[in-house]
Amino acid sequence: MKMVVEVKSVKKVYGAKGNVFTALDGIDLSVMEGEFIGIMGPSGAGKSTLLNVIATIDQPTSGDIFIDGTSILTMNEDQLASFRRDKLGFLFQDYNLLDTLSVKENIVLPLALAKVNVKEVEKRVDDIADTFGIRPILEKYPYQISGGQKQRTAASRAIITNPRLLLADEPTGALDSKSATDLLESLKELNEHRQATVFMVTHDAFAASYCKRVLFIKDGKIFTELVKGTSPRKEFFNKVLDVLSVLGGGTSDTV
Amino acid sequence: MTLFSLAKRNIIGNFKNYMLYFLSMIFSVVIYHTFVSLRYSSEIEKNIESFQSMRSVFLQASIILIAFVAVFIWYSNAFFTKKRKKEVGMYSLLGLRKKTIGKMMFYENLLMGAGAVIAGVLLGTLLSKMFTMLLLRLLGTDVDVGFTLSLEAIGNTIFVFTCIILITSIQGYRLIYNFNLIELFQADKEGEAVPEVSMIGVIIGTILLVFGYWIAFQPVDSTGQILRNLLLIMGSIVTGTYLLFRTAIVYLLKKAKEHKSSYYNGINIIGTSHLLYRIKGNARMLTMIALLSALTLSAITIGISQYYNFTTHAKQLEPFSYTHISKGDIEEEKIKEIIYEDKNHPVQAEMTVPLLKVHSDPSDTDLPEYLEQLMAEFPEEDFINLISAKTFNQVSAALDRNEKVTLSGNEAAMIKPRYTHDSFSDYEGRTITLKLPEDGKQVRFTHLLEGRVLSWRYPDAYIVLSDELYSEMENQIQPVAYKTYQVEDQKNTELTSNQLNQLGFNELQLSTFYKVYKRGLESAGQNIFTLGFLGLVFLAATGCMIYFKQLTEAHSDKGRYEILRKIGVRKKEVLTTISKQSLFIFLLPLIVGISHNLMIVKVLLGINLIGGDISFPILSSIGFYIAIYLGYYIMTVNTYYKIVNL
Repeated sequence: MKMVVEVKSVKKVYGAKGNVFTALDGIDLSVMEGEFIGIMGPSGAGKSTLLNVIATIDQPTSGDIFIDGTSILTMNEDQLASFRRDKLGFLFQDYNLLDTLSVKENIVLPLALAKVNVKEVEKRVDDIADTFGIRPILEKYPYQISGGQKQRTAASRAIITNPRLLLADEPTGALDSKSATDLLESLKELNEHRQATVFMVTHDAFAASYCKRVLFIKDGKIFTELVKGTSPRKEFFNKVLDVLSVLGGGTSDTV
Repeated sequence: MTLFSLAKRNIIGNFKNYMLYFLSMIFSVVIYHTFVSLRYSSEIEKNIESFQSMRSVFLQASIILIAFVAVFIWYSNAFFTKKRKKEVGMYSLLGLRKKTIGKMMFYENLLMGAGAVIAGVLLGTLLSKMFTMLLLRLLGTDVDVGFTLSLEAIGNTIFVFTCIILITSIQGYRLIYNFNLIELFQADKEGEAVPEVSMIGVIIGTILLVFGYWIAFQPVDSTGQILRNLLLIMGSIVTGTYLLFRTAIVYLLKKAKEHKSSYYNGINIIGTSHLLYRIKGNARMLTMIALLSALTLSAITIGISQYYNFTTHAKQLEPFSYTHISKGDIEEEKIKEIIYEDKNHPVQAEMTVPLLKVHSDPSDTDLPEYLEQLMAEFPEEDFINLISAKTFNQVSAALDRNEKVTLSGNEAAMIKPRYTHDSFSDYEGRTITLKLPEDGKQVRFTHLLEGRVLSWRYPDAYIVLSDELYSEMENQIQPVAYKTYQVEDQKNTELTSNQLNQLGFNELQLSTFYKVYKRGLESAGQNIFTLGFLGLVFLAATGCMIYFKQLTEAHSDKGRYEILRKIGVRKKEVLTTISKQSLFIFLLPLIVGISHNLMIVKVLLGINLIGGDISFPILSSIGFYIAIYLGYYIMTVNTYYKIVNL
């Protein structure tokens, strides 16, 4: 199996001297092709910073990051943009859909930017519409659809380019449990049947239980790691909760 | 901390946000104050003969300016408060009472207004010196202008702007009362639906525009027709333009969207959908701007064309440097003496122009239309002036003209009356019977001549006769003789002209080229100045409105571009799409405005409001317009790009 992401002793420090905050304190991790990895931790642990750094939206203070074997720290602004377009897919808590575009246009956008020809575009939309169950809303506008539908639209957009890595930042954060389950099932299917590599930040143990591996971060360092292996999801969910209670600040369900 | 100091802190702390609004207020004050200073300027009063009429023109212009400045400040205030709705909502959420928030907004606006008035008056005073010099120069008087402070002007400016600023301040006070909290928070998120295309609108709009233009190209004859046509053109163009922006543009954009291979090609998808999304809100503004700039351009064209052509006009009105009725008395010698004494302007030609004044026979049926109208208007007077071909050719030679005429028997030539569009076909073959004491002489028109002989008077009827016919008639009636002089460099004969005018003749007896020229210069200079000044202000302001509008959009687009950056759109592509979208918004009113302007100019030519060579006036006014818009366009793209890339 190939390595998709390799993070080497990455540090991220915010603020100037006198008032320094260390968000990431020497993180090492690697993600293999076809993995579904979850990042958990209390607020302020550095989860989102880690995701942003991998997503090339933010730069680490020191350390190195390789995606598909290339270092992303040596690239300039434009190369990064192309890199994001070609290799990465994004899924955000607040969907980040363009309200000026219809659902279909939102999904097509990355392909349009990559100047894929029209036939291919239509084919891929057709392909993906059923995976996420959005065929009936293709012509609607974001303000006309529900949060769950929005997030599934965003997911379709994220994977339509067949990215090497799908980055998800609290994707279920704004969804009700039914919509969240639908989305997680879709992600799981993507991961299992299309071999998509998923990197998900979440504070929701339920969402994390869909991952194959979960990393826990505390104070900018990797605290521990859980591997699902062959255990059923329910059992894995309880294990996640156990770790969270040790970690503190995670959930109040254990009281 | 008092509310007043909170307001003060707000302004200082958020200066960048307030900058645009502040600058546009200063701009308005500067423009207005400059103009008002000119109105009260003692320098101008001293140097201009027709100052009273000029003052009334300035007064009218400043009323237009007030209306305009009020709308402009109101508009930028609306733009400014829209950006602050969320802030106001936040105060309310934090528990500040509505009254307190209102007061704060009121004070803020008042403070900024006061600042703008002070800055504007200072700048305006400086600028007014420059404009005074410019105006005096345009009017042909070159004097060094001193630096003066007009208290009247300052008082006037302060009064006008206190009123305007109080009104906008009250509006700011009421902002919190006019909206629900939820509306304040969602000011940026208001979802605009994609407009539907109504084919009927597209068709009606096109028909109206075509109809309006078609009428503009129809010839007109009577005042009634002119009035009717103007109304028809106005109505169809205004509605047509609105429908064009409201429906046809939507239609085109939708068509562009259906064309998938270009729509799904790179950043096009964003540009097109953005424009479509916004067009509904933009249609009214674009219509207004297109129409306003068409009118403004036409006004500037009129101004420039008058200034550009008034020397030609003066030469037509007053062909010779000096012309007076000759009675062979002592006065005449005196005039001659004065003219010859002026060594700076040596006499190039001196001649006597004899002419016969007659009336036409009322029973004439084959008269050219123009003469027929004069007949009806002056049934009693001897309004027809007859000169011989020999005299006409002599005048031509004296004035360095190439036009020569040879006539024999009862052949006659009409000198083309001024302010008409008559062509030779209106006279060809027509006859007129000239009434003499003994008999009537019928002559037939065989030529139409361009060159004018004597000072223009109304009724304007000069007929050139063959030499033998003229001398035959000379035996029956006593000719009237005019003495004419042509001197070198006649545009600068102020001294001699004034001396002659002090001799106590009226204008019918003695007229000078300089006087006509100076009068034309003053009125043309005044027109070009007021029309140009107002025109530039208007164009600058319409450009500014688009600029504001685009910036409002930039602020609400910020999130959208952030998303785009995240999914891998390059900075360069962002710049490309912003440039394209802004180009579209600027180009639409520009093209429509220029096209309407050309049409209006065509109409004005048709009704003789402007004449002569108009290619320079048209090109230069359009050039100004394009230059101003180009400046705004570059500014818009830059600022827009900066806003969305923060």
